Amino acid sequence: MWLSKYLAIAKINFKNEFTYFWDFLFDSVFIAIIIFIYSQLWAILFSTGHYSDISGYTLAMLVWYLVMTESIIDFISYVVDNIGDDIKQGNIANYLNKPYNYIIYIYTIHIVMGFVSLILTFLLGSIVAAVTVGGFSFNFLNIPFILITIFLAMSMNLLIMTFLGLFAFWMEDVSAVNFIYQKFVFIIGGTLIPLEFFPEWLAKISSFLPFSYLAYYPAKLFINFNLHQFLDVVAVQILWCIVFIFLILFIYKKAIKKVSINGG
Amino acid sequence: MAVKDQFRLLWAYLGMSLKTLLEYRLNALLFIGSMIINDLAWMLFWLLFFTRFPNVNGWDFSYMIILYAVICFSYGLASGIFRNANKLQNIIANGTLDYFLPLPKNILYHLLIEKSSQYSLGDILFGLVLAVIFIPIYNFPLFLILSLLSATIIISFQIIIGSISFYIGNSRRLSASLNGGVMSLSSYPLSIYHGIARFIILFLIPAGFLAGVPVELLKSFNLTWFLLLTGFTIAILLIAIGVFYKGLKRYESGNQMYVRS
Repeated sequence: MWLSKYLAIAKINFKNEFTYFWDFLFDSVFIAIIIFIYSQLWAILFSTGHYSDISGYTLAMLVWYLVMTESIIDFISYVVDNIGDDIKQGNIANYLNKPYNYIIYIYTIHIVMGFVSLILTFLLGSIVAAVTVGGFSFNFLNIPFILITIFLAMSMNLLIMTFLGLFAFWMEDVSAVNFIYQKFVFIIGGTLIPLEFFPEWLAKISSFLPFSYLAYYPAKLFINFNLHQFLDVVAVQILWCIVFIFLILFIYKKAIKKVSINGG
Repeated sequence: MAVKDQFRLLWAYLGMSLKTLLEYRLNALLFIGSMIINDLAWMLFWLLFFTRFPNVNGWDFSYMIILYAVICFSYGLASGIFRNANKLQNIIANGTLDYFLPLPKNILYHLLIEKSSQYSLGDILFGLVLAVIFIPIYNFPLFLILSLLSATIIISFQIIIGSISFYIGNSRRLSASLNGGVMSLSSYPLSIYHGIARFIILFLIPAGFLAGVPVELLKSFNLTWFLLLTGFTIAILLIAIGVFYKGLKRYESGNQMYVRS
């Protein structure tokens, strides 16, 4: 029952977002350009004839890997800034007397937007990938499993960003924190290049951090599905989600005591 | 005299930005620091990449260092002094362009210099440090000239895509996407583009002339390419000015009441 109000909010938000369909599409154009750049980069490396595959990845697999990482990651990077603005400008006070929880509200509206963005970016990215490198062998029966890991990756990403956004209760501006977080996801998370291409020490560090479960593992499962790896990845993703839910609850409880409402 | 006046105006705005920056020192340091971390992260990325793949069609890591020196320094200069070039679409769509219209200054020039970016200092510093360490001293004047040309291309391109708002209303996301796209295309090795892609990147969108060509000139100077770059820069600047003033004729006032802070 309590979920129905959040689903209603999500539904309204979904309709709102489709009002700005072209805006969404324009955002995705940027990702299409990035996919084009990497298709050129990998094509040059493969054209030297030195490689038939690189660490098990063929040219097509590398480009489709990027299509998937970008589709998952390229959404709602502004959540941290939005929460920061809500706190800085005092809008958070308006949410506190509403019959819903601010954190669940933020999660619900953004997860819906995330999936809309995912579909659009994936479609546009797929066109670029199909034109530049063609397809790769893919078992459509794996789709439900891949959707589960994508959903968990997006949830993790949202939870981490919510956690960082709440720091606005103590910091003047959280956009710098967001900026640095996005870079971690790009590099250590393996968004642009699979972790196998990096030195072993970095891959090892990355496996202990949440970033690679946001991009690298879901994309790897997409291009080369393995049931054992899927179960491992999902278990770790759920674990990280639980860790960040607890961190958010802890910090939110502390932070909300700092809110002083002076009318207005 | 008129030129002197324009410089005085620029100087006054830069002075104001500096005072704001010093007022919020901690915040400014955080922004500048985060920009430097961002640039360092990209350098780390390319270091890791070139360790695995030492040569990409003639480009190695030393080319990427020079590419980042040029791109960070020129982008820092462009957004540091002409911050509003990247915000032009918002200024037109919101109707805040009204403010600049009745003032006795060149409209385009005035609106471009009215804001500067705190981030840009981080980029300028990062680009300069890379240049000082990795570019031979005899090539330093060339680095400065090429960076100025590159900054002019960035500003001109931003004016062109910002002016789309004169024609289609709010083009915020389209302009941001195009700007981000061109900056991204220019921050990868020029050698990866071939055939039609290379032609497009060099002549139809300014990504190649913005960074790739300056890098190749710094590595091995070629007078023909230098003249082509200079010609391209002048052409894109004239096109930008033309597009802006042509669009301005279509501008409808925002009829907005607001207080400037």
